[in-house]
Formats: sequence, C-alpha cells, structure tokens
Amino acid sequence: MMDELLEQFLIEGRELVQQASDDLLALESQPSDPGRIDSAFRAVHTLKGSVALFDLAPMGKMLHCAEDMLGAVRAGHLPVTHVIIGTLLDCVTASDSWIESIERTGHLPADAAARSRSLQAAMASYLGEADYDNEARMSDAAPAWLSALIDCHHEAVTAARSAGDEITALRYVPSKDCFFLGDDPVALIRSIPALIALDIAEQEDWVIEQFNPFACNLYFEALCAMPIDKVRGIFRFVPDQTVIVNAGSKAVPAEPAGGGMSSDRTGDGAMRTLRVDAGRIDSLVDIVGELVVAKNGLAHLAQQAAATDAKLGRALAANQAKIDGLVGEMHRAIMSMRRVPLARTFQRFPRLMREIAGRLGKEISFKLVGEDVEADKSIIDSLFEPLLHILRNAADHGIEDVTGRRAAGKPPSGRITLEAMRGGDQIVIEVADDGAGIDLDKIRALAKTRSVKSESAIDALDDAAALELVFAPGFSTASAVTDMSGRGVGMDAVRTAIESMGGRVAVTSSRGVGSTVRMTLPQALVINTVITVYIGNERFGVPIDSVTETVRIAVDRIVPIRDGEAFVLRDRTIPLLRLSDLLGLARVERSGDVKLLIVISGEQRIGVEVGGFAERFDVLLRPLEGLLLGMRGVLGTAVLGDGHVLVVLNMAELIDERAFGG
Amino acid sequence: MSVLLEVERIVLRGNCSVEDAEPLVVLLQTHPDFEVDIGDTLHLHSAVLQVLLAFRPRLAGPSQDAFIQTWIVPLLTSVDGRLVPHPRPPCE
Repeated sequence: MMDELLEQFLIEGRELVQQASDDLLALESQPSDPGRIDSAFRAVHTLKGSVALFDLAPMGKMLHCAEDMLGAVRAGHLPVTHVIIGTLLDCVTASDSWIESIERTGHLPADAAARSRSLQAAMASYLGEADYDNEARMSDAAPAWLSALIDCHHEAVTAARSAGDEITALRYVPSKDCFFLGDDPVALIRSIPALIALDIAEQEDWVIEQFNPFACNLYFEALCAMPIDKVRGIFRFVPDQTVIVNAGSKAVPAEPAGGGMSSDRTGDGAMRTLRVDAGRIDSLVDIVGELVVAKNGLAHLAQQAAATDAKLGRALAANQAKIDGLVGEMHRAIMSMRRVPLARTFQRFPRLMREIAGRLGKEISFKLVGEDVEADKSIIDSLFEPLLHILRNAADHGIEDVTGRRAAGKPPSGRITLEAMRGGDQIVIEVADDGAGIDLDKIRALAKTRSVKSESAIDALDDAAALELVFAPGFSTASAVTDMSGRGVGMDAVRTAIESMGGRVAVTSSRGVGSTVRMTLPQALVINTVITVYIGNERFGVPIDSVTETVRIAVDRIVPIRDGEAFVLRDRTIPLLRLSDLLGLARVERSGDVKLLIVISGEQRIGVEVGGFAERFDVLLRPLEGLLLGMRGVLGTAVLGDGHVLVVLNMAELIDERAFGG
Repeated sequence: MSVLLEVERIVLRGNCSVEDAEPLVVLLQTHPDFEVDIGDTLHLHSAVLQVLLAFRPRLAGPSQDAFIQTWIVPLLTSVDGRLVPHPRPPCE
C-alpha cells in the first residue's frame, strides 16, 4: 500500500510541480491573471497535502510557506513581482529535485533541510511585510455547501470542536462510471475512522422504470474529526471527484472549488480517460511483436506450401495477407495508446531555460510551439536529455550577451524557439535561436586542435560539411567549454541519441542571424521494415528507412578514385563503399551488375555495394544485449519467419566508422 | 451472490458487491412489496446502496454492522418519500 501511495505521489507530485511552474512562469508575463494565481495556489496546496502523507518534513514546511505566500498574493496582500515569483519558482525547483531524489533513493537529499530553511527564511521576509489577514482570506474561500453541511450537523460539529478535534469536511461526487473503475465510494467513506456526519443523496432524480444499476448516481457529504491531510490520504485516488476542506477554524478549498461541484465535471463526459500502467501496454507491445514474428513465419510457410501445392499456397497466402493487415492494425492501435503529447517533455523547459538564462546572465525569451504533437512515449522520454543539451548550447553559445546583441543591432533579449511539427509519419523538432550563428572558422580550428580529423581533411570540407563537424565524436567533449554546455556530452551524443530512436539531426546556421537544429523523428518505435542483403552466404538486414533506393549498375560504370571508388548516378558522383569492407568480411568477386544500396550519411549520398538484395520484412527490432551491447554499426537483431536471426545494420554508423574512425 | 429471495422477503447477506445490484433491482421490480432484510449485511456496495435509496423498500434489521446501522439505516428509513439525510429536516 505504501509503495502504491508513493508511486502515485511521484506521478502526481511531478504534475503538480509542473502545474505550479507553468502558472508561475505565466504570471511573470501576466502578473494580474487571477486564474493563474488560483491554479498555482491549488497546485502547491495539493502538493503540500500529498507530502504530508510521507516523512518529508523539510519539503512540507517549505511548501506550507509557499502556500501562505501564494495565499497572500491571491488575497492581494503581496504584489506579483519578479523577485516573489523567483522565490516561489525556487521552491518549485527544489520540490522537483526532491521528488527526483525520492524516486531515486527513497528519501530527500542530505541538504534538503538546509535548503528548505533558507527558502522558508526568504519567504518569511516577504510575508512579514504583508498585511496578511487570515480570517478574511478563509471566509472568502468557504464554499456554500460547507456552511449548509455544518449548519445541519452543528451539534456534532460543536461537540467535536469542544473536544478540540480538527474538523474536515468532504464533498465527494463520484463519476458516473466509477463502478467500472472498481471504485466503491461507500467503502471509502467507511474507511474514515472519525466520521461525525454523513449525508448521501442522488446526483440526479431516480428513474425507477429505467434504473441503471451500473451508473453511480450518489454524492456524499461528510464531516470528520480528523486532520485534512489524513482525509485527503483516504481519498487521494479520487482527487478530481472530491472537495476536501478544513471546517475547523478555517476553510481552504482543496480542488477547483468555488461553490462545490459543477455537474459537467462529474457527468458522463468527465472521466473518459483511464490511467493505465505503462508496463501493461508494454506487455501488449511485446505480444504484438511476437505476433509479427509469427505472422512472418506464416508467409514463409505459404511460400513452401505453394511449391508443392499451388492451391493451398494461394489460400494460405490470402489468409496470411489478411492476418498481416489485422496485425498491422492492432500494432497501430497499441502504439497509439503509447503515444503521448510532447508537452510531457517540453513543459519542463521554460523553467529550466529561465534558470539557464539566469545563470548565464543573459536575457532570453523562450517560446514553445507544438506541445500537442504526439509521439511514442519512449521517444518523448528519451528526447529530454538531447533537447536540454541543444537548448543549453543555444543559450550559451548561440545567444550573445546584452552588449553583444546591442552592438549587432538586435533586441537585448535573445529568442530561442522550441517547435514541434507533424510531418507525415514523422515529427520534426526544431530549436532555433536568433544568436550569433556558428563561426565556421572557429569550428574548423577547434576540430583541428581536438584532432577530429586530419588537418587537410578539415580544410577540404565545404561549409555544410564543416558545420557537420559539431556532431563528430570528440568535437565537444575534449574540454568543458563552460560549466553550462560542457557536461561531458557533446552534439555527437545528441546525434547518437536521436539516431538510436530512428531519427536524424542536422544543423543550419547563418552568421549573425542565428542557428537552427532540426531533428526528424519517427512517431513510433519498435517495428521496422528491413531489406535483407547478402554478401556471399551471409544475410543482413538494413532498415528500409535508411535506404533511399536500390540500384544495379554495370561494373564498367565504377571509376576508381584514389584508393576508393565512385560512380555516376543521374549526373551526380556518388562514392562507393563495399559492405564487405565495412563489415570486415572477405570481398566477393564482382560478376555481372553491381548491386547497390543508396544510403544517406550526413548530407551525402553513398552507394553501398552488396552481393544481392532479397525480400523486405517487417521485423521487431531487438536491441543488442549482453556481449553485443554497444557494438557499433549494429542496430539490433530480428528473428525471421524461418527462425533465423537477422543482424540489422546501422548503415550511418558503419559509414561513419569508416570515414572518421578508420 | 449475496442477494437471496426468501419467503416474502429479500435477504442481503454478508458483503454485497457491485454484482449484486442488478439482481436486487430485478427482485425489487418483481416484488415491490417485499421487505429487505439487512440484519446479516456486512457491507453495502455503493451500487447496492443506491438501489435501496431509489426503490426505498421496507427494511428489516437492525444490521449487525455498526457502520450500516449508524450511518446508512437512518438514510433509508426517512419518512417523507424523498431521500433526506437524517438530521437535515430542520434546515430545509
């Protein structure tokens, strides 16, 4: 039970931190938005309530203080200033890092108590200045149903008050479909140990003739002689259906209150979403993956059958095609369940950017576009680190300091935009800044000092290729440029991360105008179409999305160039590499036409010679494990219909190895 | 199954779960005059409780369960036909 509670706390805690942080940031630009003040207050208040269920005293005390401060802001006793918002944001940041620490280690970090004390002291200094009228604030907030409830049960209330008990009032309007979700509101009410009054009534008039026993039509109002946080603990799984307020000496709405529940919140339309443990969806993904493998086996069988009995073969093939379609549909349906909006990752950035800008002493206005674009959960989650790195780079290296910007005739505040767009099956994410742009001479010089490539190779690069140097391994890790950008991860790590998700990243830049990093990512992972290629008897898979075309050319069209080879395709000269060389396998004699995969490496097209192509497969790509882990040039393995294991190659990595490493 | 039909009465025995709501509705629709015995009821699921609140049959008790007897029975035995929580009438 404790673990479940903690898990729930970690999920909700993050959401509340996020909410508070969004609201506070919005308040900075729109200080008079009462909705935002309310929302921030509620988020902090609810977070404080959840924190009280655990042994997290420093966090609880700090949040209590923050709540008081927001209460004072809400009551108009404190102005919304940059400093006050900053202090509150510090609390939110502290909460965020503490939640992270709780998730990792199970408890608050060692410095939590000290950090909490200093934040409390900072807040107390503002609160001291405020004329902070507790009574007035509380009576303003008391909802109408509460006074009716207390009036009706005033004897019980008086008795409990004189006994010195803290009284908490609860209004619980279960959603209509709560029985389907396994909720039993009466059982929850029953578990309140110190109930002093209970009213149960119908939400809508009973219809005896067409009575629907499966839709919950009850609501509950109760008073209990126990602290609010304990009551909230009992009802923590239905926070959206309850209003819990202190009915002792003061009353604070716990949830969007105002005057009780509006009916549309609890009506049929309200609870249309179901929170499902990601693990369960993942196990569905696994099953559908196995199904794909089984389905491929069927194709193989149909082929075998066709060899001996054409009629049976055709029937099997027709059947296989149908199953193929259904499996595809099922796969899409399950993958869509895993799709979440980018907001999940994006929302954390405004606060982080504010912090980064503050630390760098720069003025940065940060804009988010397209948070509602969706992609697979695993992609969204893995995007955080690379994006943070790119954003840090933009703030640190891209945006000039205020003097620099003035000199360049730009507004003092630098602009960074993080924008997501849909592009067919893919999502495109761009980080654009209006900073100084990338200095190619500097890039070339740095690449030379860090021996990314030989000096002559670097000099030979055209501008576009020189820009690509920022992604080269070893380019940005060699020396920590500043404490901000140089965390031991460079743009090469960004590229690796993006490519491991099946994406691509490129940078464009214009001196004095700014830079843009553009990432293209698939919306979903897991199933890849691969083309099988042969070298002698060996078979390999190459993801179809890394191949732009397959061509056959006559041997005599291949021209040797220095120690390499190239050929001309539609008036463009394309370098040729042999897959056998890339893989360190023995060369096979050329006979007849040469078969080539045209692949994109960076911005360049490259022809990779193979012994032959064979069929295309949909495969479930299994990441490398054990001894193979971290092997460059290999994306993963896939099990084919005939039971053989196919090694799926990462062409871009193989070519990079050859070009830069070898 | 905790809803039992006996002679001229319906008995709710033990823990009445959400599955018991529908059979209870059917029984109350066919036998609107039968009383419902809650003497041996240990828990009334909300779904079952709302059937009782909607159909308002006569009850036989008292319930051996303290929570039901203290908090639920008064709600089910209010007199004026409409569901009125027990101490509330003076307010309305």
